[in-house]
Amino acid sequence: MYGHLVRRLLQFAVVLVLGSIAVWAFTFALPGDPATVLLGSDASESELAATRARLGLDGSIVQQYLSWIGHAVGGDLGASYYSGQPVVRELLDRIPATIQLAGFAMTLTLLIAVPVGIVVALRPHSVAGRVLQGYLTAGLAVPTFWLGLLLIIVLAVQLQWLPAASDFVPIWRDPAGAVTATILPAVAIAVHTSSVTARFLATSLGEVMGKDYIRTARAKGVPERDVIRRHALRNASLPTVTIVGLQLGSFLGGTVVIEAVFNYPGLGRLLYTAIGERDYALVQGGVLFVVATFLLLNLLVDVFYAVLDPRIRLT
Amino acid sequence: MSGGALDGATRGGTVHSALTPAADRGAGQPVLSLRDLVVEFTTPAGVVRAVDGMSYDVFGGETLSVVGETGSGKSVSVLAALGLLRTPNLRRVSGQALLGGVDLLTLPEVELRRRLGRDVAMIFQDAISALNPVQRVGHQIAEALRVHDRALTAAAARVRVVELLDMVGVPHADARYDQYPHQFSGGMCQRVMIAMAIANRPKVLIADEPTTALDVSVQAQILDLLRVAREETGAGVVLITHDLGVVAETADRVSVTYGGRIVESGEVTQIFTRPRHPYTAALLGALPRLDTAARRLLPIPGQPPDPSELPPGCAFAPRCPISQGRSVCTEQRPEARPGPDGAGVSACHFPDEAAALLTRADSPGDTTASVSGGDAAAGSPVLDVQQAVARFPVRSGVLARPSAWVHAVDGVSLRVPAGRTLGLVGESGCGKTTLARLVLRLVEPTGGRILVDGRDVGAAGRSQLRQIRRSAQMVFQDPYASLNPRLSVGDNVAEPLRLQGLPYAKRRSQVADLFARVGLRTEHADRLPSEFSGGQRQRVAIARALASRPGLLILDEPVSALDVSVQAQVLNLLADLQRESAMAYLFVSHDLAVIRQVADEVAVMYLGRIVESGSVRRVYDDPRHPYTRALLASVPVPDPVGRADRRRVPLGGDVPSPVDPPSGCRFRTRCPIAVAICAEKEPPLRLVAGGHTACHLADETADLTPEAAR
Ligand SMILES: Nc1ncnc2c1ncn2[C@@H]1O[C@H](COP(=O)(O)OP(=O)(O)OP(=O)(O)O)[C@@H](O)[C@H]1O
Ligand code: SF4
Ligand code: SF4
Ligand SMILES: [Mg+2]
Repeated sequence: MYGHLVRRLLQFAVVLVLGSIAVWAFTFALPGDPATVLLGSDASESELAATRARLGLDGSIVQQYLSWIGHAVGGDLGASYYSGQPVVRELLDRIPATIQLAGFAMTLTLLIAVPVGIVVALRPHSVAGRVLQGYLTAGLAVPTFWLGLLLIIVLAVQLQWLPAASDFVPIWRDPAGAVTATILPAVAIAVHTSSVTARFLATSLGEVMGKDYIRTARAKGVPERDVIRRHALRNASLPTVTIVGLQLGSFLGGTVVIEAVFNYPGLGRLLYTAIGERDYALVQGGVLFVVATFLLLNLLVDVFYAVLDPRIRLT
Repeated sequence: MSGGALDGATRGGTVHSALTPAADRGAGQPVLSLRDLVVEFTTPAGVVRAVDGMSYDVFGGETLSVVGETGSGKSVSVLAALGLLRTPNLRRVSGQALLGGVDLLTLPEVELRRRLGRDVAMIFQDAISALNPVQRVGHQIAEALRVHDRALTAAAARVRVVELLDMVGVPHADARYDQYPHQFSGGMCQRVMIAMAIANRPKVLIADEPTTALDVSVQAQILDLLRVAREETGAGVVLITHDLGVVAETADRVSVTYGGRIVESGEVTQIFTRPRHPYTAALLGALPRLDTAARRLLPIPGQPPDPSELPPGCAFAPRCPISQGRSVCTEQRPEARPGPDGAGVSACHFPDEAAALLTRADSPGDTTASVSGGDAAAGSPVLDVQQAVARFPVRSGVLARPSAWVHAVDGVSLRVPAGRTLGLVGESGCGKTTLARLVLRLVEPTGGRILVDGRDVGAAGRSQLRQIRRSAQMVFQDPYASLNPRLSVGDNVAEPLRLQGLPYAKRRSQVADLFARVGLRTEHADRLPSEFSGGQRQRVAIARALASRPGLLILDEPVSALDVSVQAQVLNLLADLQRESAMAYLFVSHDLAVIRQVADEVAVMYLGRIVESGSVRRVYDDPRHPYTRALLASVPVPDPVGRADRRRVPLGGDVPSPVDPPSGCRFRTRCPIAVAICAEKEPPLRLVAGGHTACHLADETADLTPEAAR
């Protein structure tokens, strides 16, 4: 277990450094120098030079990176070219909203995926099984943004049950309000991700049900419900954990399209706007955060995996 | 280092004091009866009737052995009876499975589960995969207790489980409780399964091939343990197996299955000495023996029946040596009828003619088989292995550096002359396969020299290696994996010829030749490997190996996956081919009886070293190494007569890890006669009594009686 974790941690660190280099370097690949973007094309050379110096854009490439990453580690990702606000501030403003939406979406995903996956795996030929199979196919096929629009039109505009645009209502301040504000985008996301997860779970559960140890459990006299709960699900959840971790990672990176559709003030919309405005400092900082979160989640998935599977933990 | 099983078992006697005497077997009600059990599956090829009216009874305290070849319905029948068959293509289960007078087949699932594990418990073949990999071993046993006794607390269950583990001979039971199955060896997992099965002291214990995946020394431990478990619980035991040796050692009564039915049932000595069904007699004739000198085996011609097209008459008719086309056999299905004394049944129209087949088998009529030709060993050997070494790194730690080495083959020397067979035996993991693969450099050698026809394999360049690989061919255990599934069997056999650039017409005629030599029909050359049975596929693999006219065949467990009747066909075929072409064989097997049948010389391997070698007679009849002696003693003898006198303590423990072999003599951790010097000095392989033995005490072991040697 220990060696495994240390190896994982080292990998995490190496990939994080490589990722940060990529994030930092990608601004070079884009057209337009940040200083030019900031000052407009008719700025004078000296003005440009001064701005470059202020942004840390002079000096050698290595120096530029080291200075950037050094600041980043110290919590300074520079200032937004646009608003002049510190990038960290801007990000911190949006992160709670994104976490809340991700939490809602993931909760819904699991609430749907686990029972659906179980029924599809165990009763594929029953009526419920067939209906849910249909749900899985539909959930994969329907584009998320379209479902979002549909929900807005039906539930918000026509029936007026829920607000069309979702403000961020922190759940710790107003739980009920938070639910009303966040539920629609969360549903729009969860329909798709729950289909993916349920399918995964159904496949691995179906496989596990044919294993010898399931037969052993039955032969011991364990009631079928407990055979599934105690023996099958834990084994079947192993591959599913990976996919859920990936999904959570992508939620935390901001669900750009859905946040745009619902006008939800999350990280995704922030980045979306920043890209449009060529606010490179903000884009860089945001992407760095997304990459780091994703890698961290991956690491957590690995740890969790080891907790679930003694064969990994104990070798 | 004696068998933990017995120590544990006697200790266990104090745990469960209520010993049920196994005295009144046969009297009273059977604890489990199958009545006319029929099981059918739907398959693309039509309806498969896997079990075709099977009936048998088991009484308390007795062991009923259900024996038969692959696919004869042994497993499916018990799984169906216990409601454990869950495949979606199950079409029909009918008949009765009476457990204490209650028909399990009519019970609702909840009721059935209440009886499973409490009144009837099962032990499965592959114990490692039969245990949940993510649950602690102790919890899995405790679950068996608590599911039937809701009042049992976790703490009380733990105490009971530790007692049980102790009883089945798992050392350090308390610490082992919290471990996971992957931390147990195969034999230990099977002990855990047995503990689980006897936890509730069931009336019936069904063991489906409980030792098939295990080494002989461990098999002997487990069989002993099963006997103890039966005596402890007073349960009726159903022991399903394909191994007639296991049957003869353990059974009170025997039921022989063929084509989904019981063709003969009877008391064990009657079955082995006076069989009343020709199939039983034929099986006995096809069995290689450990105790007799090589004689030609008597295989059963043809294949086991296809359960999707069972014939209307007797299922055995196409292969039966006494039917000889009698019309009653092909038209009228023989019902199971009791014998003249009322005991046992036989489903044959001519039950009294079967026993005569045995005497035919016993007459040494056909003595053409590998006659040990005196000093034929002269001349240069086809295969000469000198001090071969193969090590594999074990990687671990943060940087995955090799932190240790597996000494798979550690200084082995062998010579095989033309026309002779060297048998290589040993338990799993002792390095047999690695050694075989070294010869063709499928594994890179770490040291030593290997010469094939005088050519150095290790130093060979590309083209020379290709030549060597043409003159030395390999045949594997699983022929299906070694044949290209998308090529017809004819093309598979022709492949080496094509690579040699032979024109099509020539290839075609040579393939026809090869097919004839291995006993395949040329018309079948266009079929795919998947359309053949295991035995036929092995013939195809042999034909392909013969295509390049090799001087050396390396046979790695070539018959281990085959049934007794088919195994005998392949062994005879190999003997014939060797006589015709004077090929040298390196024959690797874990089966000592098979090796005795085929080999001229034998080498016994233990942990990467050869511990004993010599002529078959020397190694089998005058074994000097304690390991060889223990191995030979562990093999179940297919002869129930006098088995009581053969009772012995099996070799204890498992093979140690080859990563860190014991100092001095590698066998000392399990050796019953080890002395101080054994830990200090490694015994060299030295000439003893006309063979070679690596034991400090080799000169004394001969004087020990088999019992005292252990
Ligand atoms: N799900 C299934 N669908 C179709 N046929 C099946 C299925 N399960 C088993 N069979 C067939 O039933 C027959 C009996 O199988 P069974 O496993 O009982 O044999 P066995 O006597 O236990 O053999 P072995 O010695 O290999 O364990 C075989 O021909 C097998 O192919
Ligand atoms: S009934 Fe006929 S074919 Fe069947 S076993 Fe007896 S003699 Fe042979
Ligand atoms: S050398 Fe010693 S330990 Fe090894 S087999 Fe001989 S007696 Fe046993
Ligand atoms: Mg079976």
